[in-house]
Amino acid sequence: MHERLSFYTKRDSSLHKLNPLTKLTLAFSLVLISFISPWYWTPHVLLLLILIPLSFLGKVSGEFLRALFRLILPAAGFLFLMQAFFQPIGSSIIFKIWFLDITKESLIFAFRNAMRIAIMVSSFTLFLLTTHPSELMSELTRRGLPGQFAYVIISTLQIIPQMQAKAQTIIAAQRSRGLDTQSGFLKRVGSLIPLVGPLVFGSLVEVEERAIAIEARGFTSTREKTFLYDIPDTNLDRALRWMLILLVIASLALRIWLS
Amino acid sequence: MSIITQNLVYFVIAIAIIIILLIWAYSTNRLQQDFNTLTWTLIPVAIAINVVIGQIVVTLKLPVYLDSIGTVFVGVLCGPWAGAITGMLSNIIWGTIIDPNAFPWFPVAFFIGLVAGFCAKAGLFKSWWKVIVTGFLVALTAAAVSTPISVGVYGGITASGSSFITAYLLQTGQNLLPAVLITNNLVEPFDKISTALLAYAIMQGLSTRFLARFPRPQNVEVQKDVNWMQIIIAVIIVIAVLAFYILVVVNLTNK
Repeated sequence: MHERLSFYTKRDSSLHKLNPLTKLTLAFSLVLISFISPWYWTPHVLLLLILIPLSFLGKVSGEFLRALFRLILPAAGFLFLMQAFFQPIGSSIIFKIWFLDITKESLIFAFRNAMRIAIMVSSFTLFLLTTHPSELMSELTRRGLPGQFAYVIISTLQIIPQMQAKAQTIIAAQRSRGLDTQSGFLKRVGSLIPLVGPLVFGSLVEVEERAIAIEARGFTSTREKTFLYDIPDTNLDRALRWMLILLVIASLALRIWLS
Repeated sequence: MSIITQNLVYFVIAIAIIIILLIWAYSTNRLQQDFNTLTWTLIPVAIAINVVIGQIVVTLKLPVYLDSIGTVFVGVLCGPWAGAITGMLSNIIWGTIIDPNAFPWFPVAFFIGLVAGFCAKAGLFKSWWKVIVTGFLVALTAAAVSTPISVGVYGGITASGSSFITAYLLQTGQNLLPAVLITNNLVEPFDKISTALLAYAIMQGLSTRFLARFPRPQNVEVQKDVNWMQIIIAVIIVIAVLAFYILVVVNLTNK
């Protein structure tokens, strides 16, 4: 059982050493550039020339490529097929199946959309592989994110795996008492209540205790807080962030200028 | 292709609206009054409820999502702004950790929490039929917000099963925007009404002492007497809203 829900792989690389905020900026700006850039080939170039080399730089290429095949290709591939078949645009028909026609235009359109989604998914995967969630949160808190948000995000990451384990236990327990979770539709609807009920009531009861516990540790205190870890922010980080923001602005300007 | 660009602009507008709403709520102190320590500890649990029940529903192979029960729960018990923040964080966390495809839908989750909270504030969470009205209103909002996102980010056809309806409508010569809007309006009400009913059932099962510690326990005081006049008025309003919606969609189609 995972203690914590996270992709993070600990390696010693220059990508891991970057400031978390820089990596977050990188992920967001890659997504934005792939969506707003006016050129058709931008997402493909970004994936091949930036994301994959970066994964080698971060020494996580194995995990990254595995995630690419396991997570991204099915989603993007399904999207590509759906769009190629169903987008009613274009006139130069390549081939026809029943009432579905695949045109050259719809293929081009579908490929671009699938690639954009692939960029979105893979840049965040790379970000998560190289950044520890609590490192990111303490960096963002240091830069002015309210501590409550950091609490919500970090404790969600801990609660979800606990609750998934609890859900598995409840499903197994109810099945052993004869609950039907596999036959007809109405039976399955009916089995929702005995599964959801214990899970939700059980977790809600803990809320009150947790509130008292964190209240006792000065959760709502407005005094300035100190940090246990110091996260380095080098000149390289700052330069990279500004460069990425300028690139996003440049691609937006190009988009407006060229259209 | 131009419609895609145009809808990406809608996506940016949706984010701008969210930011303006949050700043407004913050400056008028509406945001702060929803949040006490119990709200902050409830939010992670609510997000986990969203995710885990969403996964249970997938295991049971039911044709709904039910991935916003926690959001509705917080919206009703802690107020609209707490609900909105729960929805937004839920999709952002879900999107960055589990399935990145959930990320672009965070404005939808924001408005689900917000509308559920305002409906509860107006007393629409006090008996089962009022809860159905709440679910219906939430569904209309969700459909309206998710349409531009679906068109702008995915070109109208997403990787979910309901896209087959959109695809069918597109093949019959419908325009992209109305096709997506019709699909969402067909699918959302089922999902959101059952979400609201389940959240209501959960609240009925909790003790009054527990509920009283949240910022807005008065939202879920049950009305025992059934007022038939009110039900009839509600049904008429729902039919009127539906008729208006169909009219708008038909007009969009004729363009």
